[in-house]
Amino acid sequence: MIGSGHFAAYLLLLLRGVVVTLELSLGALVIGSVVGILLGAMRSSRRRPLRLAALVYIEALRSTPFVILLFLMYYAMPLALNIDIPPFPAAISALSLHCSAYMAEVVRSGIESVAKGQWEAAAALGLGYRRIMRFVVLPQALPVMIPPTIGVYISTIKESSLASIVGFVELLGQGMAIRESNAGRGTADVLVAVAFGYFAICYSLSRLGRYIEGRSSRDRRAAAVRARPAAAPRWRFARRTLS
Amino acid sequence: MYDFNLRVLLPYWPAFCKGALLTLEISALALVISLPCGLLISLMRVSRSRLLRALGTVYVETVRNVPLLVVLYVLCYALPVYGVPLSVFAAGVLGLSINSAAFTTEIFRGGFAAIPGGQEEAARALGLGRAQLLALVVLPQVFRVVLPTLGNQVVSVVLGSAQASIIGVAELTYQTQSIGSATFRYFELFTMAALFYIVCVQAIGGIWRLLTGRAAKAPLGT
Repeated sequence: MIGSGHFAAYLLLLLRGVVVTLELSLGALVIGSVVGILLGAMRSSRRRPLRLAALVYIEALRSTPFVILLFLMYYAMPLALNIDIPPFPAAISALSLHCSAYMAEVVRSGIESVAKGQWEAAAALGLGYRRIMRFVVLPQALPVMIPPTIGVYISTIKESSLASIVGFVELLGQGMAIRESNAGRGTADVLVAVAFGYFAICYSLSRLGRYIEGRSSRDRRAAAVRARPAAAPRWRFARRTLS
Repeated sequence: MYDFNLRVLLPYWPAFCKGALLTLEISALALVISLPCGLLISLMRVSRSRLLRALGTVYVETVRNVPLLVVLYVLCYALPVYGVPLSVFAAGVLGLSINSAAFTTEIFRGGFAAIPGGQEEAARALGLGRAQLLALVVLPQVFRVVLPTLGNQVVSVVLGSAQASIIGVAELTYQTQSIGSATFRYFELFTMAALFYIVCVQAIGGIWRLLTGRAAKAPLGT
């Protein structure tokens, strides 16, 4: 067992690990989302080569284990490009690549969730592809995409634990460092604490995702009810113009 | 320009193949263990007993929210402290199974949710008991609903098995890494490994769709 004197210091180290884990995965999520939006738009593009290129990218990345991606970035890329890649850039680039493939699928299904009639109506009003995307489709697709994006964030956080094996010290890395500094004593305590850290982050995020999902589907039902009586505002508008 | 040289790796071909075989072996073992366990836990989660439901929920939520690597470390480093020494192979298979069972449970639970409530009433009207309702009416339909999603689970176990290399299971990722430390040909090696996983996963996906396509497409008797 770990001596109680060090308990507070270890807890602080693990908390710092939690922050680093959150930062690393959030960074990867942001980069991955930018690339993912591009890829998702390519997947629903009218040009066949673009669709195909995005499909190959997404499928290849989704069928490669994250460990292999990480090792490619950490061990292989420095040799191939003849540069030095420290653990953090290796970890965040591998995580971003991984994330982008999953975000692309989120974006694609978000775009597909918008009814086809919306595209047709916007095209009938004379809007081009970009304007339809920006003013009609994306504003409706983005709320749909929030819960699955949280899902991708959760799985990115879990995958980010692998960054510890290339020497980047996030939550699991801190845990293993504490284990090492105690020569293996108290391993179980440290690992349980680390597991609890991941659990606390991921569980609260998944509850948040479920809450948002539930609320947005309630909103849509409420909007459908509200949409029926539409006469009242117009009457008030008319009265104001008279006075 | 980097000189992409596969010829250097020719003598290591047998080790690479052995690793690939072990990857398939531990994935298959983990699936054989975790699919029935997942079904069992999902039955717990739809059971009438509150205790069983709670136990199932706690298991699923705990395992789904903790990284596979942490589970593997617990099995490999923490269990021996309490006098349960596991071989790395056993720890790898067990860790993958524990992880996969939680996700499989959720897949089956989705299947149960897709069965309309009228089926239960109809079965009761025909005089079927609870066990018969489950075995003859609900489960056959649940299997059909979950088949496509179970294919994804097979794939994610194969992908997860790469993490077993970290605790020392000599599967493909482990072999590539050890060949790499001998030859320093990391770029070729990890590219080959990535290609193996991509071909493997795409093949599994294709075969799964081929085998289950008809069952999944058939309409439910609603």
